[in-house]
Amino acid sequence: MEGFRCLMGGLFLLAGVVIFLIEVYGVFRLKYVLNRMHAAALGDTLGLSLCMIGLMFLSGLNFSTVKMFLVILFLWFASPTASHMLARLETTTNENLEEHCEQIDLREDPGEEDVK
Amino acid sequence: MKAYFLIGILILLALLLFALLLRAVKGPSIADRIVAVNMMGSITIVMIAIMSFLLKEDYLMDICLIYAMVSFLAVVVISKVYIGIYEEKKHGREEN
Amino acid sequence: MSRRKSQEEYERTKAFRFWRWMSGKQDPYLGKVELVPREEPEETELTIQERMTERQMIRDKVYDIEHNKKLGVFHKIYEALAVCFCLALAGILLYTVSLLPATGVADKPVNNEVPARYIEKGLQETGAVNIVTGMILDYRAFDTFGESNVLFAATTTVLILLHSRKRAKDKQRREEESEGENDRVYEPKQDSVLQVAACVLVPVIILFGIYVILNGHLSPGGGFSGGAIIGAGLILYLSAFGFEKTEKLFTEKTYKCISFGALTTYCLAKSYSFFTGANHLESHIPLGTPGAIISSGLILILNICVGLVVACTMYTFYVMFRKGDF
Repeated sequence: MEGFRCLMGGLFLLAGVVIFLIEVYGVFRLKYVLNRMHAAALGDTLGLSLCMIGLMFLSGLNFSTVKMFLVILFLWFASPTASHMLARLETTTNENLEEHCEQIDLREDPGEEDVK
Repeated sequence: MKAYFLIGILILLALLLFALLLRAVKGPSIADRIVAVNMMGSITIVMIAIMSFLLKEDYLMDICLIYAMVSFLAVVVISKVYIGIYEEKKHGREEN
Repeated sequence: MSRRKSQEEYERTKAFRFWRWMSGKQDPYLGKVELVPREEPEETELTIQERMTERQMIRDKVYDIEHNKKLGVFHKIYEALAVCFCLALAGILLYTVSLLPATGVADKPVNNEVPARYIEKGLQETGAVNIVTGMILDYRAFDTFGESNVLFAATTTVLILLHSRKRAKDKQRREEESEGENDRVYEPKQDSVLQVAACVLVPVIILFGIYVILNGHLSPGGGFSGGAIIGAGLILYLSAFGFEKTEKLFTEKTYKCISFGALTTYCLAKSYSFFTGANHLESHIPLGTPGAIISSGLILILNICVGLVVACTMYTFYVMFRKGDF
């Protein structure tokens, strides 16, 4: 049982680190910030939760397991919101957005001014 | 054996942190930098959690929670303030 | 309630004057100390021109890197020297760290009789499992009181510096706000994604802060860190829902009440030790069983006071620098 726990923990941790590697690779490979955000979100949610699950396996059931679970839950809420805010920042401040991506107007009446 | 494995993972994550620092310095736009810093935050959380297991100090998990919270808050506040400043400047430019 | 003195007689007493000064009805220095704003110097056509030429000259001599060769060379040297300086600083700091004694070495210079006493007798004298909290809130409680007062003084200074000018224009400002002349008007106001996230996260964050404060004498944490967490939660709430909603919850009056109340409670609770003799370690408050939430005498109350002051300070700093007003 002990050996199984160590094995599972190590595998999950390794998987998490591999996800982090992919994330960093993607951040250097992709060319535009909205694409890079995609890579960044991968590590924030999947990589971190895989690492935490690995550590849960390694440490066994105690009070810190609950806290690890809370960290995962917190980041699942917080990370998409942070990404949303960042995307909003980029779309607002970038003056030549058309060069990088295609824009679709989702307003019902495209002629009207955008009301904030 | 277990400890060596975990220390190896810590070193790997530290190297990733350096790479992300490079991105944060290089990044052309401000959003690039914030994305890089946010990712550094999540990697740091994992590092602190591994340290907490290695050193057998449970209270380090509290620091993980606080770190997650502070990095989230920083992103939200910085992006809001920056959008505000940008729009104000743009408005001023249009008036002149 | 009957009043022994008549209203006129009461108005002559010092208590009335003190109350008037407390509640801010009359400023005793008004008219005695010079508070007149400086007059704007008159501007003629000539001075404006002079200023413009000066500005242009400065721009050419200092900021025009592309055309000024000396400046370009200087900037290159400056950058190289900056990198060298940073590397040298990092090297010196790392070298210093490498000279520090390792963890757990017995003959460190800091290992004298003071930490020995804290470790040996801290638990029975203060009742706190977390020795650090026992140290800063029992052996050195006056030190912590000073720190809380420093925070309070800093907030008061910020309030004075940023607040005074706005209040005179208060009415005018309100009118301008409706027209959209305010400097916060360009910020994104209602962001539904952020609002939903804040609805879920803010209660969790504030609960976690309360947990850290209340467990200050049992586990790492305490007033300062817990207060900072609560302040961060309030800031998140503010940035999600805007100023109108938080003003219902937290106004200048709330800040005053909470800060004054917490600092006064701290002061009174610690002055208690004067009555039990100068050596305030021998308090007559039962310490309780170590490890329980309600234990270790005054430390829990002091922790709550410090936490409240820190939370208010964080939030007030943020609000004052964002808005310049409550």
